[in-house]
Amino acid sequence: MRGYLIGKVAQALLTLAFVVVFNFFLFRVMPGDPAALLLRGSAAFNPDTLEQVRVDLGLDRPLPAQFVTYLGDTLRLNLGDSFFARGRSVNTVIAERVWPTLLLVGTSTIASAIIGLVIGIYGGWRRGSAFDVGSLGFTLFVYSMPEFWFGILVLMAFAGGVGPFPAIFPTGGYETPAAGLTGLSHWVDVLNHMVLPFFVLTVAYLGEYAIIMRNSLIDIMGDDFITTARAKGVREQQVLWRHAVPNALLPTMTLTILSLGFVFGGAITIEYVFSWPGLGWLTVQAIDAKDFPLLQGLFLLFSAAVILANLVADLLYAYLDPRVRAG
Amino acid sequence: MGRIWRLIRVFTVGAMLVGGGSVGIASAQEDDGPVVFTIGSTDEITTLNPLKVYLASEYYILAWSYHLPFSFAPEDLSAVPDLATDVEVSEDGMTFTYTLQGGLTWSDGQPMTAEDMAFTMQMYQDSHAYIFSGYLTLMDSIEAVDETTVVLRSKQPTSLYAGNYLYAYVLPKHVWEGFDRPKQFENYPNVGSGPFLVEEWRTGEFIRMVRNPEWSGPEPYIDEVVWRYFKSQDAVAEALKAGEIDFAYFTAPNIFNSVKDEPNIETMVGVLPSFDEIGMNTGSAYQDPDGAFVPHGDGHPALTDVMVRRAIRMAIDSQQLSEKVYLGYAPPGDTIVPPVTIAGARWEPPEEERLAWDIEAANALLDEAGYLDTDGDGVREMPGGGQPLEFRYFVRTSDQTTIDAAPFVQSWLEQIGIKTEVTAMSSGRLGDVINAGEYDLFDWGWIPDIDPNSILSYFTCDQRPPDGTSYGNNDAYYCNPAYDELFLQQQSELDPQRRLEMIHELQRIFYNDAAYVVKWYSPLLQAYRTDTFTGYIPQPQPEGDLLSGYSRDAILSIRPVGLDVGGGDAGAGGEDEGAGPGTGAETRGVSAGVWIGIGAGVVVLVTAILLLRRRRTGEDEA
Repeated sequence: MRGYLIGKVAQALLTLAFVVVFNFFLFRVMPGDPAALLLRGSAAFNPDTLEQVRVDLGLDRPLPAQFVTYLGDTLRLNLGDSFFARGRSVNTVIAERVWPTLLLVGTSTIASAIIGLVIGIYGGWRRGSAFDVGSLGFTLFVYSMPEFWFGILVLMAFAGGVGPFPAIFPTGGYETPAAGLTGLSHWVDVLNHMVLPFFVLTVAYLGEYAIIMRNSLIDIMGDDFITTARAKGVREQQVLWRHAVPNALLPTMTLTILSLGFVFGGAITIEYVFSWPGLGWLTVQAIDAKDFPLLQGLFLLFSAAVILANLVADLLYAYLDPRVRAG
Repeated sequence: MGRIWRLIRVFTVGAMLVGGGSVGIASAQEDDGPVVFTIGSTDEITTLNPLKVYLASEYYILAWSYHLPFSFAPEDLSAVPDLATDVEVSEDGMTFTYTLQGGLTWSDGQPMTAEDMAFTMQMYQDSHAYIFSGYLTLMDSIEAVDETTVVLRSKQPTSLYAGNYLYAYVLPKHVWEGFDRPKQFENYPNVGSGPFLVEEWRTGEFIRMVRNPEWSGPEPYIDEVVWRYFKSQDAVAEALKAGEIDFAYFTAPNIFNSVKDEPNIETMVGVLPSFDEIGMNTGSAYQDPDGAFVPHGDGHPALTDVMVRRAIRMAIDSQQLSEKVYLGYAPPGDTIVPPVTIAGARWEPPEEERLAWDIEAANALLDEAGYLDTDGDGVREMPGGGQPLEFRYFVRTSDQTTIDAAPFVQSWLEQIGIKTEVTAMSSGRLGDVINAGEYDLFDWGWIPDIDPNSILSYFTCDQRPPDGTSYGNNDAYYCNPAYDELFLQQQSELDPQRRLEMIHELQRIFYNDAAYVVKWYSPLLQAYRTDTFTGYIPQPQPEGDLLSGYSRDAILSIRPVGLDVGGGDAGAGGEDEGAGPGTGAETRGVSAGVWIGIGAGVVVLVTAILLLRRRRTGEDEA
């Protein structure tokens, strides 16, 4: 077990190191000159200004020198200054968005996993029942539905107010600007802003969990040990929760933990519709502005989160399934 | 200002259902709370450092925080005194003596003097401020001779520094001096001299500006200005309908239409100095090396021929494009100096010179120039056969109107035997492609300065992207020595009337050379609630920017509906009796009690299920 553990951790660290190196070159092979982008449309444009901007951005030095600086800075967790949000450090820009992203995407991932798994379990267990047929139709629909489309409908219904739908909730953002709220009233305000995007994301994500859980459970239900359990006279509830579900949970658990790794990536379309200050839309803006330092920082964060989630999934898997650590 | 750089203009959803009203306002602030004016927009600012501004949205913050040497009149954008009350120009047109108003104070209590202005202009020039150094290319030196007098010397005779061409905001020297690299300065919260200063900036969310205690001009009626940044236009529309915001800018005409007939909402289509164009690669690969410029790229050789470009201009109907794509809100375009500019600067092509929409005449022009369809496939070839007239045509994903216009343009060009392949890409990518000269047609836009000098300067030969990787303003690779010479002449012309004539001639040359098809002059789509605030001042009048983004007139005049100010009603806006609702910051949603109830409900439910299951399991194992 210890060997397995050390192996997995080493593998994760190696992957992370690769990402750090790869990150640097990935964005620099993108065509175009970020300095020139900043000057677009400026009457100030001339070679002098351009050179000055390159110096400002640290792009004037040869690539190997930039790389050495980059490595040193990254190890010290100094990710440099963003080009796009000019004058502010990448750490600050990312830090501002991490909490709202985790709050929204994290909670809705967990909620959708729980709801999705429960739907999947009951659907798979009573395969062919009215609940199964109904829930399968529903989950397939929400799984294939475009999130932003559903988001706009929800926004129009519950923020703008259409027909019988009450316009209760705010149209977007993380909090009410300039309201100067603190303490409990601040958190209530944030919760109110979160309701609609949380609802949309939870509904949009739960289909995947339900479908995988259902299929996984149906597979297990045909296995010999289930038949054995029933033959022993174990009650149906017991068969489901003690024998079938724990075994069927393995693939869905991997999915859930990996999804948690992707939480940092945000939810671009939902952030867009509900003006949520998350990391997803920040990434879009960073790509558009060719903001190398910001993109490097974001990708490092995303990769680290996914690598960590992978590691956790591996370790947990080994714990839950002895065959893995033996093999 | 510069290239239109609207990051978000993507999703547009069709007609929205009627509805609205702000049910469910859980807790409104007390009546004696601050009066907050809230603006909704999708164009978030990226910096508070004036050395680095480049977005139109950033100019509002500057205009309300700082003084200009000379500002812009709300009526017609002509020069009016601001920090400077007067300027004297020497006989040779090379020395400008500004007299400043004394007695002004920065928001931190320091006096504002001539030193501040001289220092700021010098800093803009020395540190290559992205936009503002552009106005100082002719400045040789600047110095403060006493508390209220600044002398600027230019490198050549010019009339530019006698008015508001010097569109560069004055900063406090005591705050900005001592930086090695002032561009790195965050400038937040800012020290300024205007009526409102930035107090709070949550990126991705909002900016909050509060009153400057040292402001000695007319007292504003509002206490705070909040810019709330949305990502989608649909959300802006919903927020306006729900009363979460008081004023909004839109870029999508159909979403703008969806708020038009809502109760308590008034809309106004403003004109602003802006145009969108289809630009052509007039020969990046075929022109002679010249200074830094080396030929590069692979544009279609046919576009080096002015006859082909003119035929393209004649095949594109600006009127129809405006109606179909901009739902009629955008005035059709012709020359690169938009209707909003200094008085008399715009040249309108006379009837006999107008390259009006005429497919037949365009076809005749191409026939005459020898571009014939020799193989009968519907596409013309270069004179003498050979390469067919097939053009790459690039539009931008960030601007839906460029995408919407493409099918019209494509079908018109098809009718004159020109085939196009339309590709949509990000603005960043298109910028690269243009610098590389690897395009034939593209669709983009500009927001020119009020003085046409800047927009005209972009099309001189030395503004071409020089080497395939560097940026240049001249994205059509337009190069005409006659144009260049006349441009320099107008810059040095001291007689205003003669200068205007030269500006007209420059536009005429550029129009006839047809490097650009100016599609339309982009409108400013504005909507505001009539039950909260009034006192908007359009700039220019009668139909301009209701927040008068070139000056601080509107922000000093905007006031809650029903507030008695005496002296009559200035500007647009509905008058409605009763205290303006929603003037404070309101929160929406359900109250704390409901949330606690929901939380308690969930806990009870989960506990019940667990207890139930445990009992059953216990029974089973017993």
